[in-house]
Amino acid sequence: MSWAIPHQQRLPLGIAALGFAFLGLFLVYPLFQVFSASFLDSEGTALTFDNYTKMLGRPFYRAAIVNTLEIGVAATLITTVLAVPFAFALARLPIPGKSAILAMASLPLILPSFVSAYALVLLLGRSGIVTQWLQAHGIGFGSIYGMGGIVLVYTLTLYPYVLLPTIAAFKAIDVSMEEAAQNLGSSPGRTIFTVTLPIVMPAILAGGLLVFIETLENFGVPFVLAEDMPIFAVEAFKLFIGETAPNPSSAGVLGVLLILTTAAVLLVQRRFLGARRFATNARQAAPLLKVGRSLQAAATVYCWAIVTLALVPFFSIVVLSFLEFRGPVLHPHFSLDNFGFLFNRALRPLFNTLIFATVAAFCVTLIGVPIGYVVTRYRSGVASLLDVMATLPFAVAGTVLAIGFIVSFNSGALVLTGGPLILILAYTVRKVPFAVRSASAIVHQIDPSLEEASISLGRSPVQTFLRIVVPLMLGGILSGMVLSWVTVASELSATVVLYSGPWSTLTVVMFQALESGGAGIATAAASFLIVVSLLPIVLLYRLVRRYELS
Amino acid sequence: MSGIVIAGASRSFGTVRAVDNIDLVVEEGEFFTLLGPSGCGKTTLLRMIAGFCELDAGEIRFGEQRIDKLSAHRRDIGMVFQNYAVFPNLSVAGNVAYGLKARRVASAEIATRVHEALSLVQLGGYGERMPHQLSGGQLPRVAIARALVIRPQVLLFDEPLSNLDARLRVSMRAEIRTLQKSLGITAIYVTHDQEEAMSVSDRIALMNAGRLEQVGAPADIYRNPTSRFAAEFMGTTTLVEARQLGLAAPVTVSLRPEALRFAEDAPAGWPRLQGIVASVEMLGPITRLDMKLANGTIVRMASLDAPQRTVRDGEAVTLAYDPARLTVVK
Repeated sequence: MSWAIPHQQRLPLGIAALGFAFLGLFLVYPLFQVFSASFLDSEGTALTFDNYTKMLGRPFYRAAIVNTLEIGVAATLITTVLAVPFAFALARLPIPGKSAILAMASLPLILPSFVSAYALVLLLGRSGIVTQWLQAHGIGFGSIYGMGGIVLVYTLTLYPYVLLPTIAAFKAIDVSMEEAAQNLGSSPGRTIFTVTLPIVMPAILAGGLLVFIETLENFGVPFVLAEDMPIFAVEAFKLFIGETAPNPSSAGVLGVLLILTTAAVLLVQRRFLGARRFATNARQAAPLLKVGRSLQAAATVYCWAIVTLALVPFFSIVVLSFLEFRGPVLHPHFSLDNFGFLFNRALRPLFNTLIFATVAAFCVTLIGVPIGYVVTRYRSGVASLLDVMATLPFAVAGTVLAIGFIVSFNSGALVLTGGPLILILAYTVRKVPFAVRSASAIVHQIDPSLEEASISLGRSPVQTFLRIVVPLMLGGILSGMVLSWVTVASELSATVVLYSGPWSTLTVVMFQALESGGAGIATAAASFLIVVSLLPIVLLYRLVRRYELS
Repeated sequence: MSGIVIAGASRSFGTVRAVDNIDLVVEEGEFFTLLGPSGCGKTTLLRMIAGFCELDAGEIRFGEQRIDKLSAHRRDIGMVFQNYAVFPNLSVAGNVAYGLKARRVASAEIATRVHEALSLVQLGGYGERMPHQLSGGQLPRVAIARALVIRPQVLLFDEPLSNLDARLRVSMRAEIRTLQKSLGITAIYVTHDQEEAMSVSDRIALMNAGRLEQVGAPADIYRNPTSRFAAEFMGTTTLVEARQLGLAAPVTVSLRPEALRFAEDAPAGWPRLQGIVASVEMLGPITRLDMKLANGTIVRMASLDAPQRTVRDGEAVTLAYDPARLTVVK
């Protein structure tokens, strides 16, 4: 006996120790630094609440909090109201082209939302194409800057967060539930409101909360569309990067408030959903409802309209990228100049994006998959603590994490600022929760006795993990990796804080172009980003299809 | 190795003592069964031997070698899992070769041994198939071949037949028994099915609430149960205060249904019991009958089908029992 730790627990404890070490150093420590910065006076020595009273005493920052919450609530309500009937129609009504709708509806999740916002500006902004065309015909309309535009973009890009889980929930309802209600004398219409909707409510709420949290954390969309309107994540960035003097303590205050808000939302979700989990094991999926022609037509138009509208901004930006810009002014001639500019001036950021995304996707997988395995297989205090810690990045806005990184790794034993590693580490931390969740979902489906069989046949737990668990998880691991890759490639909020010198990325190129009016190169960068986001997904889809068919 | 020794093994989950201070010796080459209702600790005990469950106290030895602190993958045990745990990503041959590769056996030898093992379980020629191409009856064979091929010191079975249909279960259990005897390998078998346990085992350890209730040969436990639990779990019985049968001793006795006969078929020396038929079950080869005595006691009786006799509910009958087959239980 070499160790005092029982042999069954060596592998999980080893993984947990590595997980704690990584998350401790690159998540908890930077957040703690943000936290302590917000509580220190200007000398950095005494503890104080001054920063909080000062920040909350200024109407500008109070407005930032109110605006952010208002936008979040509005976007959540609108996405929910739009997505639930959509989900019901897809799950239960005869709609032509369902699989196409579903595929198109998942795209906004992987396409960068600030590209959508940017497209909106190019089309409907002050000097937008559509705006100018309308003005030429004497038609004016309200501004897309400010709350309306932001909520619109959130609605178009975030509705799949409600749609997809709600479809799954509608499909998971056992038909006998509704039959029982009708057998007891409930009309089909009443059944939907008294039985069907209450059963899917947890899924709707979970999706809605995801939307809300995304709006709290989002940096790119308000940066493009808010103009003078103060928004949480943007103001934290401005305070930290500072057009005047960088102010980590004030940025820290906003960061802490932002984390507390998301944490509160997550806690409410846990409390509320924990008590309301309806196990509906559909032995038989509910059949499609028979409806009249006009209702069917209306539902079809509705579904197609939403998926199409959500993709219009992305589509138009691709089209625009092939047109000629002179400065910010667009000319309707086909041209490859924008891409010429992109490859001439931004080749380095382009390669950086591809390399960072690839390295980060590998790191996310290497760290997230073992953690997902441990938190699913082993039930103990250590495992649940690890689970909480690995979910934490989800509640932390990219801007805030990045500020913590700068404060933590600017000096001292570990200096990372100024290099590429700090970006990769920030990406890895931010995407770990997704890898953990997806790995955990697959591990749930792998019978533990397969691992025991392997161990009893003489393979050590580590070898068993590599030879049995990993091959069985491979499909999920690969798709998780591709998703990480895609979302890292379009990451903006942490990148704008952390990049330096030659280590900028495509999103930074777009970001800079937005500030300096270089619309042409921005559209080319956006198109390139859209293509590199879609390509791996399509490849993976084909790969998985072939694998399943063989 | 000479046999498996379990000494003082204990394990609690929370406040539940899943395995409570168990002492057992399994002889070399023996087919030993852990039998009991669900939650009695039989699977926990098996998993302790396999190395998937820690002991809070006690030890397990294979002969002289203490194994309970050894990692599961170093124990040299073949295990057949309840759901077979056939690796879905490997072919049948790949599954069977898995343990040999872990032991770094030369590849030429692996090929011959896999071939032998598959023939042994009548799966010769199925090596290239993938598990999802096999029938329900073939999966347990793969699992058994995979466990046997590593020539383990012990073979463990965790309710391997509970997922099969009744016919297959009966034929597979006979096969398992024959295979184990022909290889002379020590086997520990877990089941909750007393008929299965009796049909395959050399000895049975009957477990209840984490403790050993009774250990012995199947016939021995069946004929001489020492406790009420043993008498009731091993087949059907009537448990009754001796006084209710008109005996003087203040004890509880167990009377098996087949120890009773209709009075007219019984030897003259057997005590008679008179009562009313409370219910009749005609099961084909045998007829079960519950008789209610005047004092309200229900006595169970079973007789082979006799076409000349048909008993009806409510009919008055006289039965007789073999006094030698009355057993006193705790």
